Amino acid sequence: MTDSTTNSLALYQPVSGDFAPAIREESVEQISRPSLSYWQDAWLRLKKNTRAIVSLVIILLLAVFTLIGPLVWRVDPALQDLNQVSQSPSLPKTATLTEPMSSWQGVRVKIDPGAPDAYPEDFSDRAGFRLADDDPTTQRVRLIWEPVEGVRGYNIYRNNRLPDGFNDLGLPLGSTFANEVSYEDRLSLEAREYYYAVVPTDGFDEYETFAQLKVTPTLTLTLEEALERDLISAADNLKPGDQVTLRFHPLGTDYLGRDMLARLMEGASVSLFIGIFAPLLFVLGGIIYGGIAGYIGGQLDVLLMRFADFVVALPFLLFMILFKIAFGIGPGESGILPMLIALILLGWPATARLVRGQVLQIREKGYIEAASLLGARNYYLIFRHIIPNTMGVILVTLTFSVPAAIFTEAFLSFIGMGVAPPTPSWGSMCNEGVKTMLSHPHELIFPAMFISVTVLAFNLLGDGLAEALDSKMRARE
Amino acid sequence: MLVYILKRLIAGVITVWFIATATFIAMHQVPGDPLMNDKAVSPEIRANLEEKYGLNKPVTEQYFIYIGNMLRGDFGISFTQQNRQVNDIIRDHFPVSATLGLLAVLFAAAGGILWGALTAIYRNRLPDIIIMFLVILGISVPSFVFAALGQLTLVNLNSLVGRSIIPVAGWGSIWHMLMPSLVLGLGTMALLTRLMRSSMLEVINEDYIRTARAKGLSTTRIFFKHQLRNAILPVVTVLGPQIAAITTGGFVVELVFAIPGLGRYFVQAVQQLDYTVIMGTTVFYGAFLVMMVILVDIVYGFIDPRVRLS
Amino acid sequence: MQITETPILEVNNLAVEFATHGGTVQAVRGVSFHVAKGETLAIVGESGCGKSVTVQALMGLIPIPPGKITSGEARLDGQNILNLSPRQANQFRGVKIGMIFQDPMSSLNPTMTIGDQIGETLKVHLGKSQGEAFAMAIELLEKTHIPEAAKRARQYPFEFSGGMLQRAMIAQSLACNPSVLVADEPTTALDVTIQAQILELMQELQKSENMSIVLITHDLAVVARMADRVAVMYAGQIVEAGSVDDIFYRSSHPYTLGLKIAMPSNKHDRDKQLTPIPGSPPDLFMPPAGCGYFSRCPHAMSICRAHLPGVTDMSDSQFSRCWLQEAGAPDVPELHQRKNLPEQQVTATTGPLDAG
Repeated sequence: MTDSTTNSLALYQPVSGDFAPAIREESVEQISRPSLSYWQDAWLRLKKNTRAIVSLVIILLLAVFTLIGPLVWRVDPALQDLNQVSQSPSLPKTATLTEPMSSWQGVRVKIDPGAPDAYPEDFSDRAGFRLADDDPTTQRVRLIWEPVEGVRGYNIYRNNRLPDGFNDLGLPLGSTFANEVSYEDRLSLEAREYYYAVVPTDGFDEYETFAQLKVTPTLTLTLEEALERDLISAADNLKPGDQVTLRFHPLGTDYLGRDMLARLMEGASVSLFIGIFAPLLFVLGGIIYGGIAGYIGGQLDVLLMRFADFVVALPFLLFMILFKIAFGIGPGESGILPMLIALILLGWPATARLVRGQVLQIREKGYIEAASLLGARNYYLIFRHIIPNTMGVILVTLTFSVPAAIFTEAFLSFIGMGVAPPTPSWGSMCNEGVKTMLSHPHELIFPAMFISVTVLAFNLLGDGLAEALDSKMRARE
Repeated sequence: MLVYILKRLIAGVITVWFIATATFIAMHQVPGDPLMNDKAVSPEIRANLEEKYGLNKPVTEQYFIYIGNMLRGDFGISFTQQNRQVNDIIRDHFPVSATLGLLAVLFAAAGGILWGALTAIYRNRLPDIIIMFLVILGISVPSFVFAALGQLTLVNLNSLVGRSIIPVAGWGSIWHMLMPSLVLGLGTMALLTRLMRSSMLEVINEDYIRTARAKGLSTTRIFFKHQLRNAILPVVTVLGPQIAAITTGGFVVELVFAIPGLGRYFVQAVQQLDYTVIMGTTVFYGAFLVMMVILVDIVYGFIDPRVRLS
Repeated sequence: MQITETPILEVNNLAVEFATHGGTVQAVRGVSFHVAKGETLAIVGESGCGKSVTVQALMGLIPIPPGKITSGEARLDGQNILNLSPRQANQFRGVKIGMIFQDPMSSLNPTMTIGDQIGETLKVHLGKSQGEAFAMAIELLEKTHIPEAAKRARQYPFEFSGGMLQRAMIAQSLACNPSVLVADEPTTALDVTIQAQILELMQELQKSENMSIVLITHDLAVVARMADRVAVMYAGQIVEAGSVDDIFYRSSHPYTLGLKIAMPSNKHDRDKQLTPIPGSPPDLFMPPAGCGYFSRCPHAMSICRAHLPGVTDMSDSQFSRCWLQEAGAPDVPELHQRKNLPEQQVTATTGPLDAG
């Protein structure tokens, strides 16, 4: 019938002896894979997942940062370094000691207010805008300029970068009357470039012309300040003009001059404590609750699960806030404990549901029945069979609960409902950092980065674990 | 279906009642009383105020008055903003929060479905890898960081252009709403993208997709009529909890962008321990969220015939 | 068998591979068959033998990659249907070939009404309006004996029983009056009583619509009931093909014999034992150089290990792929062997024989 054209494969012409019965070796079932325990197998799979392993390393590094960091970096996170407030990350700095601040009279001239039409066409050339002395310091910058006839006053501006034009002169520092052609700037100066501008006015409005001056103040400190802040001791016998080394802040300081690195370490211990302990405890609670519901079953199961459903339906963050209010935070308390309790009270139902489902599934499995027919007792069944078989999903839940708890802590601390100052947590540091975000972004970026990297690492590890422990995937390959 | 809705509604009412009671208890646990903040009140004024707010009555009586007022929809008067009804605060500021939240949900759902479908189509190829990288970032960055970064972007954008094209803070025009709702929706968008992707990949292997191909339907038709619709179903189920997440996330976004929404008032009230405002807004928010979850479930029921008809 | 007209479906030397993590699987290794108008061809074999892959390759349902059609051609009504773009394939899928699947429960879209799913084919291929398509869908459901078709058309798959769903699947596949119906294990997932009803329905519709059926199954009882001709597949190849009588009464391949012995029958034969075929099919990652059945064959010879047997024509209607058909091979009493046939019967290839 059908095509006999397909015998191109069979070109072989049989010879005698080919038709003798075949001698077959005893076919032995080959086991190609070495037998591995569930956890060995999972670990092998996890090791292949680069992202999960990188995450695991990051988590270990975070643990080192939190636990060992403070032993290496022995800086008091509460110490305020007033010389270096809102300092960006930098190498160690030195400052010059100066005389105590003296008052400055400035330069005054007698000048007649001119006719209104005598306003300066181009002020910039004629201003003679310059420094009053040769050493602008972070203590003060003294500016003087030539009087201009016909104007009734001057406005002084300071910009952090070269002004882009008349509308971009920067921070208005102050204004003077026509007879005062000098200005002393003492407004939180740093050792960096500044562009000063002076604009003549008619008393109210500015003329559209300005003179500009670039100034780089040197970092200075008075002797008293240095002594007071423990940078030098009286025994050093230092004089004005000598150099002192300022405190080193590798990651800069916050708006109160506190060391960012030390605060991040202390914040890590708070954030990670809540982020890891709360899930550990509520997952444990969930296991017990769900295990009881699933194992005992019946009416009790229905009742317990109803209650779990009810707790799930509660708006989580609203209740977290209510808890915080109800607990209240007394003076000297950090507010960590109430948050931990609230997280545990509200966090358990998800795990409980999961464990119950698992237990119900496993309870029906043949090997449980077999074991109980062989006379295994309940506790043996639970500890030998049911719990080990639920460990996989529980571990995955636990891993995913950590970022959730860290988020909750950060969120609450950010809205001021979490950890109470001065205790730092990454969330409360973000809260403080966001206020100075435009001028000193590092105060926000560092804690935000720590939160994000931690959460990212736990999420990726969770993904990896879920893949490695998924028995469906084991069967597929 | 009707029985199902009714059941859900009853459960919802119980939940709201529990929230109201818990709020009441929480408020009465607060150390110190709400009048403590006002400096040195004379005993007469204090008595008057207690009379006015009913603080001198026994706790059980206060509870019943409170529940009664709640049922009538009367949340009382603010402690810190004298003469301002909590109802007025909710009425004035909730629409702002609701607009913001609605826009964020729309952003998140549209983006999540779009990106999720796209990554499923291009799975394991460059677009998928890029989007999934962004998604994992989106899940790992807290909303307040997004808010701050969003604001920073606007500041830089405006200074780059030289004038304020998109306002950095405040509320009013559609331009004000753009960035806050986007940053508010980002986390949820990332989550939905992930969910949509796995859902699409699951559906693509379903037997009925093979049937559709055997029927000779075009790839586009299969994608829209068969795959997308079935893949969206699990995404809808998480929308309820996600609306809750967006609502609470709105608190910080409103704070950062100085938006006069109810969330910001709530946070302020909490910080100032403004008794009645906290109670009112908590119960209001609680009822709103519970309602939203029920609403999403009902909507789901209408989309999925298996639920609707059972 | 004599081919009186061009077969409606003709497949030559089809080979399909799948690239997997572990290597390339040669799922189909040079399969040829044809189906005449109005006849039923059954493709039989155990799971994994490549029978489903064969028809899915014809329908363009194999995901490419990892799948790949490495050789062969297939003609439907004289037109090539292999390696087409989806757009070209959609010219015949659902129009000239209808297909039904093993599990009707999962083979229909759960969120679309039955009527809409059937009507969709009509809308897409025949340009019908929604209303027309739905009305025709109801007619089709009536044709497959679904009671209260108008009401049923508005229901969703989960409201149907398995048997009803397979009827709906058949109605859907018949929407455009296809000339071939491909049924991939259509009754495997159904109860025995329902199976009979579905098979009966298929036969009835085959007569009334004058269509050909390609029936994939592992159940010889179904084959005996439905098929005109049978192709037995093993390890990606057709090892024997012939009319249904050839296969059952003149089995010319040891695997066919094995299948028959393993099949339960309803005859009162208490002494007869069901004998399973020992072992398992070869790994198609590395197909054996010789006969695929070598390791399980009770009559294996030394030649079978390294040399693939060629095709031996047993008659006009039957061929076998076995070294036992070679001159010089030992006698196997239960096997139908060519060398034991009267010479004239073998050479009489000119006469108009009907393999029916």
